[in-house]
Amino acid sequence: MKFREYEAKQIFRESGIPVPKSVLINSAEEAKPALEKVAEKVVLKAQVDVGGRGKAGGILPATAENISEVARDLFGKTIKGLSVEKILVEEALEISHEYYLSITIDRAKKMPLILFSSEGGVEIETLAKERPEALRRVYVDPSFVTLPDFIVRNVIGNAPKEIGKIVRDLFAVFRSKDAVLAEINPLVMTQKGILAADGKIILDDNSLTRQGISENRDLTPREAEAEKHGFSYVELDGDIGVIGNGAGLTMATLDIISHYHGKAANFLDVGGGAASDRVMYAVRLVASMPGVKVIVVNLLGGITRCDEVAKGIIEAGVPQPVIVRIAGTNEEEGRRLLQECGYVMSDTMDAAIRQAVEAVQ
Amino acid sequence: MIYAGKNTGILVQGATGSQGKFHINLMNAYAKQVGGTGVVAGMTPGKAGQEVFGVPVYNSVMDAAEEHEIGASVIFVPAGGCGDAIMEAADARIPTIVTITEHVPVHDIMRAVAYAGSRGSRVIGPNCPGMLVPDECKLGIIPANLCMKGDVGVVSRSGTLTYQVIAELTSAGLGQSGIIGIGGDAVIGQTFSEVVDEFHADGRTKTIVLIGEVGGSLEIDGARRALDLGMPIVSYIAGVSAPKEKRMGHAGAIVEGGEGDAASKIERLRGLDIPVATRPSEIPALIRSM
Repeated sequence: MKFREYEAKQIFRESGIPVPKSVLINSAEEAKPALEKVAEKVVLKAQVDVGGRGKAGGILPATAENISEVARDLFGKTIKGLSVEKILVEEALEISHEYYLSITIDRAKKMPLILFSSEGGVEIETLAKERPEALRRVYVDPSFVTLPDFIVRNVIGNAPKEIGKIVRDLFAVFRSKDAVLAEINPLVMTQKGILAADGKIILDDNSLTRQGISENRDLTPREAEAEKHGFSYVELDGDIGVIGNGAGLTMATLDIISHYHGKAANFLDVGGGAASDRVMYAVRLVASMPGVKVIVVNLLGGITRCDEVAKGIIEAGVPQPVIVRIAGTNEEEGRRLLQECGYVMSDTMDAAIRQAVEAVQ
Repeated sequence: MIYAGKNTGILVQGATGSQGKFHINLMNAYAKQVGGTGVVAGMTPGKAGQEVFGVPVYNSVMDAAEEHEIGASVIFVPAGGCGDAIMEAADARIPTIVTITEHVPVHDIMRAVAYAGSRGSRVIGPNCPGMLVPDECKLGIIPANLCMKGDVGVVSRSGTLTYQVIAELTSAGLGQSGIIGIGGDAVIGQTFSEVVDEFHADGRTKTIVLIGEVGGSLEIDGARRALDLGMPIVSYIAGVSAPKEKRMGHAGAIVEGGEGDAASKIERLRGLDIPVATRPSEIPALIRSM
């Protein structure tokens, strides 16, 4: 789950990382009082979760004379399809130099990786490609809870020493928040010292519970509802409902639907060890999507038991035809139950999907 | 031997939960069928003295290891306790640690995998179906009725998609030397490259089937490793129709802004002259054409 800029900055502030003065506002009326608390010259930053926000008109300068007008204008905008509901009113900075600093996870090396560049303010992907020597990469042993001095020295090189403290503090944020990314871009040198001018924190979705977060707000309401039942669910725009178990098998089901020139209505992975009531809910959820004409259930039992799956499909009792392909643990019992109730069974994945595509044509 | 063999004594951590019990029974049914050792001990803190299908349960991995010869552990404990369970197994110097649990926090896994490495243990998973060496041993939840002994080595990030591929291979008369599910998360223990090394060192594998997904680039590293070792390899990558920037089940299966999407991965594999199936059902024909 992503934290927005104002949330990331609040976390930075609490962790000792210097940030510019700012106030978060929810309406244009709050703009002028906010400016009075912050500075004479400010920038208004739309709190929307998209890249390239500045270029899309989401960051605007303002003074006491025009701030109400600028705020009204920005609240009325949609930026890359997202409406502006919160604005950060932040002091305008006189920047003499920009740096880039981030901590992420290198999945191949299975280690935290710190990236630092004294040439911030550019597209970091472009810099990494064109001048890789300008981007310092330092790996951190996963057993380190805090950073040893030598790592901090290797990260900052000849850059100002006060950045070393920020590297340490950002690593503490990365660890304590179970982050998969903690980024300051840009980290800026101003007449007031070094500040985190923009920030991004992405949490590990598997750690939300222990971070005290009950809902992943990156999900649509229906996706969030599905997640409560332990499903991974994504809505698409076709007419063939899809239920699979395991991300790989469900993705392969979608791929084969495309292969036969059909269009999937959704991706729904019921997860491991699905009990009958969860399967029932999954079938009903997919059947409730407008435009679903047929449902393919493609399940291979491992930790999932075929008899439980069969009971769930039968209990769901949805109006659309359900084409079932199940194999694996307790397969015979599952097939027997479904056949007794007259469900269409397919022996292979390809055949089940072809039948479904033919059914909607 | 591919991580474990017929005579490997298996410990199950999280033995008294519903999944632990269910799969101890299935693992030992397979061990009985092939004449292997199977699960010799279970472990759940506070449950010492209990039995699960005749398997004694201990309070700690150390307690179990004092009473039994243990070559591998299979972990079914809940996600929050998984990192700890891996480290406890590694602390007792269990060589192979198979972690079935999904949704394990990534920081826990990074630390546990690194610690296991420092103790000479190898971690398979998390978020994986485990492994099965036909006619020798089953560590995890791969349905044994789908498998058949042979010389095709299967290595996969997926769970059920792996079963699909095994079913296709077996029905085409192509047996397997070993089936290793390495897990779908962003950070995992054994990667494709390491499993390729294991197949190579064991010597019974003639062709490798590498099953990948969107996200990361571990598939490419593994494919290169197989080519370096002169091992024939075919591949299948799921997710060509996955919408970008959408999470499709696995933490690892996120299309990261064009990097690691299925289409570019397939292109890179084909660039290495590796045959890539467009459907799992095409894999047997690709193997025969090698």
